[in-house]
Amino acid sequence: MSFFNIKGTVNPLTALAQFAKKPHTLRFPEVEVEAKDRYRGVHYNDLQACIGCGNCSTICMNEAIDMINIAGIDSSKGDTGLRPRVDNGRCCWCALCVEVCPTGSLSLTKDYIYVTEDADAFLWTPGVDNPEGVNLKSFVSSKEHSLNVYGRVPMKELVGMERVKSFAEVVLGYEEAEARLEASRCISCGICTEVCPEHMHIPEYINAIAAGKDEDALRIIYDNNPFPEMCGKVCTRRCEEVCAMTHRGVEDDPHDKGAIAIRWLKRYVTETAPTAERIKEIVNPEISESNGFKVSIIGAGPSGLTAGYYLALRGFDVTIYEALNKAGGMTMWGIPKYRFPMDSLDKQVEYMESIGVKIKYNTRVGVDIQFDDIYSNSDAVFLGIGYQKAWTLGIDGDDMPGVIAAVDYLREINGGGTLDVGNKVVVIGGGNVAIDGARVSARHGADVTILYRRRVQDMPADWEEIEGAEHEGITIVPQGIPVKFIAGDDGKVKYVRYLKAEMKVEKEGARPSPVAIEGSETDIEVTTVIGAIGQEADYSFIPESFKDKIEINRGRIITYEYNQTKDPKVFAGGDTVNKTADAISAIADGFQAVKGIVKMLLKEE
Amino acid sequence: MEQELLDLLVEHFQDRIAGSVKSDKRVEIFTSTSAIEDVLMYAKNVLGYIHLVHFSCVDWIEENEFELMYAIFSPKSKITIMSKVRVDRENPVAPNIDYIWRHANTFEREIREMFGIEFTGLIAEKEMILEDWIEMPPMRRDFDTAEYAKKTFFDRPGREDAQDVRETIIKRTGEELPEFSKKYSR
Amino acid sequence: MKQDRSTTLYLGPQHPGITGNMMIKLQLEGDTIVKATTHVGYLHRGFEKLIERRNWLQSFTILCRMCVPEPDPNEENYARAVEQIEGREVPERAKYIRVLVLELARLASLLLWYAGQPGSAGLYTMGQWSVGDRNYILDLFEELTGGRIYHMYIWPGGVRRDLPEGFGDRVLKVMDYLEKRWKDYDRLMFDNAIFQKRAKGVGIINPKKAREWGVVGPPLRGCGIKSDVRIDEPYEVYDKLDFQVPDMYKDGDVWSRALVRRFEFLQSISIVRQVIEKMPQGPVFNKIPNPHKWVVPKGDALVKTETVRGESAFYVVSDGSNKPRRVHLKGPAYIHGFTLLEDVLVGANLADVSFIMNSLGTCPPEMER
Repeated sequence: MSFFNIKGTVNPLTALAQFAKKPHTLRFPEVEVEAKDRYRGVHYNDLQACIGCGNCSTICMNEAIDMINIAGIDSSKGDTGLRPRVDNGRCCWCALCVEVCPTGSLSLTKDYIYVTEDADAFLWTPGVDNPEGVNLKSFVSSKEHSLNVYGRVPMKELVGMERVKSFAEVVLGYEEAEARLEASRCISCGICTEVCPEHMHIPEYINAIAAGKDEDALRIIYDNNPFPEMCGKVCTRRCEEVCAMTHRGVEDDPHDKGAIAIRWLKRYVTETAPTAERIKEIVNPEISESNGFKVSIIGAGPSGLTAGYYLALRGFDVTIYEALNKAGGMTMWGIPKYRFPMDSLDKQVEYMESIGVKIKYNTRVGVDIQFDDIYSNSDAVFLGIGYQKAWTLGIDGDDMPGVIAAVDYLREINGGGTLDVGNKVVVIGGGNVAIDGARVSARHGADVTILYRRRVQDMPADWEEIEGAEHEGITIVPQGIPVKFIAGDDGKVKYVRYLKAEMKVEKEGARPSPVAIEGSETDIEVTTVIGAIGQEADYSFIPESFKDKIEINRGRIITYEYNQTKDPKVFAGGDTVNKTADAISAIADGFQAVKGIVKMLLKEE
Repeated sequence: MEQELLDLLVEHFQDRIAGSVKSDKRVEIFTSTSAIEDVLMYAKNVLGYIHLVHFSCVDWIEENEFELMYAIFSPKSKITIMSKVRVDRENPVAPNIDYIWRHANTFEREIREMFGIEFTGLIAEKEMILEDWIEMPPMRRDFDTAEYAKKTFFDRPGREDAQDVRETIIKRTGEELPEFSKKYSR
Repeated sequence: MKQDRSTTLYLGPQHPGITGNMMIKLQLEGDTIVKATTHVGYLHRGFEKLIERRNWLQSFTILCRMCVPEPDPNEENYARAVEQIEGREVPERAKYIRVLVLELARLASLLLWYAGQPGSAGLYTMGQWSVGDRNYILDLFEELTGGRIYHMYIWPGGVRRDLPEGFGDRVLKVMDYLEKRWKDYDRLMFDNAIFQKRAKGVGIINPKKAREWGVVGPPLRGCGIKSDVRIDEPYEVYDKLDFQVPDMYKDGDVWSRALVRRFEFLQSISIVRQVIEKMPQGPVFNKIPNPHKWVVPKGDALVKTETVRGESAFYVVSDGSNKPRRVHLKGPAYIHGFTLLEDVLVGANLADVSFIMNSLGTCPPEMER
């Protein structure tokens, strides 16, 4: 290096040329800079779309998100009523909360300037404190980028025409890997537990399945539901309707909307316990010492059995009176075996008997034993009698041979009978019972037509039942009102005459109702007509003097807290009590009654 | 090439080491505290594994052991050897290797401070990152960060109204969650 | 009466020479250093401990914070380690995007060095320029990732979002601009007599000892040793890209290291251009399961990345649960900031301390994490 480095002295001075150039800096705040389209600024939450699942709060690795009650947001089914509040002093703007938001209500905005001297003022409730954020959304959630897995693991089934050849179970169940995968989709918010009548511990058992702890899952289920296999196969699963995953799962799966397959997971878990002994081994329940109280239960349906099971665990002396030769009530006699195989139920009942529930079969109360005797010999009575009697169709000729009720038909078939329905069957009705009747007839080789007053989408039956029927070659004639049954030469029904109907909206906003079209009479040739328009209870066994004491109104027993009737000693549950008339509601009734009986007799909470 | 290297090492050290080819460019060997110095010296001076890439420690508290991992790299073969050594958790002592690689000194200081493993003959100031630390070495699995934070710091007021989502629903429905199942709640 | 001629000086912990919060205890005779000891503990956030209590996905938002000027290699390293343990495939396009991000981060970090290195010698103009130019890269990051400094963009399975419409063109524009600026920097910094005088023959690393001392990155290449993880163990798509690793600067002093970085600046610009050109179409993310229940099988992985300061290595261990067992970062500063710095400073002038620190890339957030 020379003593005087000319280049080294002159070249740096070229920087002076910058004086002549436009500056790179912007004069803030005169010039505002808008953040880029993906900028991760403060949160914005669409309060209406948010369901308060709290997934944002769980994923937040800084624990910056609290779920709080805020004014104006009420809880409802499918919404916890809570909304996220962000501590912007802790937030690190990673936006994982946005990526896991199942509804897509949460986003980050372009807003990034916030100055205050008060450190506590960094607590923000997005959407409440910054309503203007709706126009500033930048880092948004989308189904494409979401970390939630919206698609359900598909369930394998027998193919349509294969099914009608036998009563083999249609749904094949999840393999272990499929169940783990499906369970791992759950975000554990627990919103489902609210709509479950029995409030089963759904997130807990699903998480146990995801963790590979099937036995723990079964124990958790048995904590308040002694019929996991029944519920795993035929539950009406209202839980799945509100699942957080349904909010964006619609396109791929119009029916389940991508809800976690809660029912199928429960079904999967029960497969770990194929026998009653195994159930007992896994559940290993704690059975209290006998407390000397006697409880009698009338009807071994889901509600009665549930009450019996949990009362027996609490040390009560439980006797169940069942008119027929098998326990299970409608789930035994009313559900076809391709949906709910016989041994599924039997092993659950066997397990209950093994822990001390006594069931007296073939004992019809009012015939084989008097209600008064039971009443006076028991410390508490539970009525779980169900809806056994079918409504008559109320159509000209409905008493003629060949016109039968679906419940009677199903009872006959499930009991091992062989009622011949011939080769042309018309089923009247649109509920699950109607479809069951239709699909059972199809399995006996009949051509089946379902006649329903309204449209297919109005049918109260489960969509999968309807779809299942269609796959099995059953014809559904919607908007058909039967008006007359016409007998053949042998006096048996030969034709069903029905009128086509059009749907009319009588009142603004009301459900459209069918109105018959004059002159549209059509006859279908039949060998049997199966009516399935509803059932009712048979209270004939209860002495008239007693009926007033327990309040029966329009065919229903009125109950109060803990399913207690007006007579404090009598509890009731099942179809005769609740309006939903499904197995899980019956189980819930039985479970509530147990609480009530324990409280009343053991004087404890 | 990875297999050749492994064979060479096994041939030289016989039953003092065991190992496998972990993946492309990674050879994993398991050895003991008594052999590790010899292994590293041999690898460095004879085989040309002259670069100490990483030196880490993992607490396997369930097995009551610490695992030290020495990763060494050869610029010639481009292979990294991950030598693993188990150290008893009750009496955690391992040999000092800072005479083989100068910078191992820093790793050892940190492991000593964070896991409480003594390196025989290590000369360095005891305190490195922590200051006036009286608790157990904090990187041990049984040191509970959350509990320590709760004990040492206070929460800013104003967030007490936070609700647990699951609890909220339970309160509303009267669901009774059995104790044993709570570990599966989120 | 015997006189003690030595003075003890505590340099730091408030950002000595703009590299972060650390302290060096200096033993001086006159203004010559006879002993230097690195003291850390001012920036320990316990990330590695925090990660033990966070799940595999949550961890990635913390890890980038282990190095402020260049967070992306940490994200990439962690993602790659997890993918290796799990055997998760990454879409090709995502790999290209990762390299794009890594090289942009390298440029941004080099621009910070362009500010720090001359800045610690009193040449402040350079810092104004390069930090200003760095903002153009941060703008690109903002557009691509939504964040300017911490991007939290590369995660296990790929990257979070695809490139926005027309992003490649905007990147190329910035590259053209930076290439032009590179010549301005030359005039202002490398031609500068003062800088040359300060840099040459200062902070010498003995090339023979470099490997043994664990030196990596530009300081190692500044000793004339050709070593770069991108070539030694090509990760992502570096094996499909054409670039050079300098081995012609052999003096091992601050000047050599500066020339290495000056050379690499252009190489990075070239890599970015190649990436934009070669990038295939396709998905950018191989979706991970629900993050709360995402379990990574038992196993461990050691992955390396060439950061702007040198080789950084992540050791990630899974015990088969939904949280990492251990994530241990060895950053280049972990070597350069302790033993190497302590050795190199001996005999140096007090005024050169921060100058040497800048040239070694001592980054305290990485040293104590």
